[in-house]
Amino acid sequence: MIVPLEHVLVLALAVFLMGAGCALLRRNLIMILLGVEIMLNASGIAFVGSSLAWRELHGQAFVLFIMGVAAAEVAVGLALVVYAHRRTGRLDADHFSKLRE
Amino acid sequence: MTFFGALFYILAAVILVSTGLAVSSRILMHAVIHLIVALLATALLFFLLGAPLLAAFQVIVYAGAIMVLFLFIVMLIRPVEEPRPRSRRLWRLAPPLVLAGVTFAAALVLVFAEPAGTGGRLELASASPRELSEFVFREYWLAVETVAFLLFLALAGAYYLVRGTRGSPDNTEEP
Amino acid sequence: MVQSAAILALILPLLGFVFHVAAGRFVSRRTVETAACAAILGSLIGACLALAAGWGQAGSVTLFPWFRAGDFAASFDLLLDPLSLLMAVLVGFISLLVHCYSVPFMRGDPGYIRYYGYLNLFVFFMLAVALADNLVFLFLGWEGMGLCSYSLIGHWFHSGERTAAARKAFLVTRTGDVAFLIGVALLFAQGVDPSVSSIQAQAASLSGGTAALLGLLLLWAAAGKSAQFPLLVWLPDAMAGPTPVSALIHAATMAASGVYLLARLFPVLALSPTVLLGIGAVGTLTALWGAASALAQRDIKRVLAWSTLSQVGFMMLAIGAGDPAASMFHLIVHAIFKSLLFLAAGCLIQALGEEHDIFAMGGKLRHRLPHVFWPFFFGVLALAAVPPFSGFWSKGRVLSAVLAQPGAGYTALALAASAAALLTSLYAFRLLLLAFFGRSARTDALRPESVPGSMSGILWPLALLCLMAGTLDLPGHWGASNWLTGVLASAPGLPHGPEGVSEALVALLDSALALAGLLLALLAYGPMERFFPRIPEGARLWNLMARGFGLDGTYERILARPYRSGANLLWLRVEQGLLETASSGAAALLGRASSGVRLWTTGRLSTYLLMLLAGLVLILLIAAGMRS
Repeated sequence: MIVPLEHVLVLALAVFLMGAGCALLRRNLIMILLGVEIMLNASGIAFVGSSLAWRELHGQAFVLFIMGVAAAEVAVGLALVVYAHRRTGRLDADHFSKLRE
Repeated sequence: MTFFGALFYILAAVILVSTGLAVSSRILMHAVIHLIVALLATALLFFLLGAPLLAAFQVIVYAGAIMVLFLFIVMLIRPVEEPRPRSRRLWRLAPPLVLAGVTFAAALVLVFAEPAGTGGRLELASASPRELSEFVFREYWLAVETVAFLLFLALAGAYYLVRGTRGSPDNTEEP
Repeated sequence: MVQSAAILALILPLLGFVFHVAAGRFVSRRTVETAACAAILGSLIGACLALAAGWGQAGSVTLFPWFRAGDFAASFDLLLDPLSLLMAVLVGFISLLVHCYSVPFMRGDPGYIRYYGYLNLFVFFMLAVALADNLVFLFLGWEGMGLCSYSLIGHWFHSGERTAAARKAFLVTRTGDVAFLIGVALLFAQGVDPSVSSIQAQAASLSGGTAALLGLLLLWAAAGKSAQFPLLVWLPDAMAGPTPVSALIHAATMAASGVYLLARLFPVLALSPTVLLGIGAVGTLTALWGAASALAQRDIKRVLAWSTLSQVGFMMLAIGAGDPAASMFHLIVHAIFKSLLFLAAGCLIQALGEEHDIFAMGGKLRHRLPHVFWPFFFGVLALAAVPPFSGFWSKGRVLSAVLAQPGAGYTALALAASAAALLTSLYAFRLLLLAFFGRSARTDALRPESVPGSMSGILWPLALLCLMAGTLDLPGHWGASNWLTGVLASAPGLPHGPEGVSEALVALLDSALALAGLLLALLAYGPMERFFPRIPEGARLWNLMARGFGLDGTYERILARPYRSGANLLWLRVEQGLLETASSGAAALLGRASSGVRLWTTGRLSTYLLMLLAGLVLILLIAAGMRS
């Protein structure tokens, strides 16, 4: 008997929001990626908590896959960051505005 | 408040504080280190919540590989931090804070609106690695293969992206 | 025999119009002119044949049905009785002369196809009015005449003034036509079939009130077409058209068609003595109005225009006095002398190079153009009702009809009509004296050119008829019978005129009036004018008379100007201000909204992430809202 499920979810929510804030407010590309990682971690917390609550293992299995996907995404993302830095010498997210029409 | 309950709250506090420090840190290296601390605390949390294998993976993969990769890149690139404009600090934070507050409130409503099926507190339990592994390979074998493939693709993509820029970081040759 | 001749008379001018429209551009000018005159000639022959063959009888022809709506049926029916056939012959005769006159008159005009086409079409429509039985068919002719009149008045459409005159004519007569339609609807509502023959048969079945209302509506419709008070403002301005057009349309046919309508539908009018008195009053008022205004005109065609509506007023007075035969007599006589006067005026105008001012003409014309002077003289004598010319006999008939009616109202009308007759004689001789005698007021020398023989030649038959047409209906005590009255009496619906007034008295009165006018005119404008006070041709009263006593100006002020400023206001404020601004404003709003949305596409990663999460927040909010 530890804590109600709601508390776990509230924790996950708070961490998620912090990660979202980091991804939105920071302009450095690496910090944005960091924010994404935080969000993924928060979702992992929620999954594990729910898995314990329902006595099912699906949640835990999913966290496994989240980790795998996070690894892949970080690899590619950081490779992109390196590439962008090699090409332009800057890591400012606002600098890469070629998507604007 | 049982012992494990108190432990949960302590770990939660550690996660929240270190994530907050990571998010607000101006120096990139510090942010990464703070996040590593947060991830280690999360691993302990997993262990508490009955997922020892996941706790191990959290340390090995997440904090050990991903964050180290971040460290490598930070040390390699040495990005320059743009100075934040101090004057309009508070004014710029207002809309995101409002948004965050609204989201928090909405999500709280969702969380607490429905009476929890389990009622009361979580029971302590633990899933042994053997159980988890059997479960994963029985139920989600396709996902396992897919994630493996995905990792291979990530590897290939990362290799391709970096391949063309041989030599020193000052090389401006077209890939 | 009668029927086929009548149909031929009606159809030939229409075929002429079709020919001109379809083929006028591909054939020579000669061919067009010849075709126009030939069509009218054929029509005249047909009408004469029909009149002669069906002497004294009434017949009817149904050409083909038009449309039905419930019990209401419109079809192309003709009613062939002496009245209608006589009118058809008159129309054909005058039209033929005008067509032949037009050939040399319009010899330089480039719009000749349009001219002859519309002229032929006009004759068709007039014949439709004359011969029609079904009132809807009659209305078709009625409106068609208005259309052709508009086109022909505005023949030289490059001038804004002339087109304005054409528009005014069309609009004013249109207001009369509305009354016509209401009258037809009223008839139908009373259960009477809207045709002339059923009206003549069933008129007695109408109630007094209905008959009075119908009579007033018909009076209004006739007043529009015949330029009677208060719809008289269009006729003087209609002189902007070519002179043959004025001769045909505004002297002989269309201006008289209102009178013809009233004569046709007389059984309805006869039911209400008040309406008859009203018709007489309108006619007399117009006669006086027109005569006084004619006295002050300088333009020769405007004198004749005012004179026309004054004389038509006499015809209306005859109807009001209950004697439609007298009215028809005067109609025929007037058609002859008025068209003569117009055609002669056209010769004068062309000889002097488009000079219209009678003060610019003078005695030299008499010597240089005697073949125009003498027919003109005959026409003036007929207009002034000098015996033994035809105008004397017809005006005498009208006056005796008025005097025969009992009642103070008719006596007043008789007095007023006598005054109008005096004025008529006065202005007629004034016209003659100023145009052909005395000194010209022009500073340069008067150099009249010669007039083509084909133009002046046409004047002679008309002049002869001016003298002889009185024999149509000589009063009884002269030994010849009342031929016309007798003929028309056999037509259903036309009663015998009132008897009882001494014919000799009226004859004496009439001659006295005519001679008095002659004397006055000689005094004022003739060789002895320097012995007598000058006519104040520039005085205020004279100017008022010249403007037709300001009726046109009044209409302009109270009707035309507010309408125009209202239309302007609607255009500027409502259409441009509101509607266009609204629609362009909506477009601008859309443009601004989309450029506002375009601000979102910054190309910056932070913006797009923000939007992603904003969407997530939205979903959360909705879910929370649904739960709580």
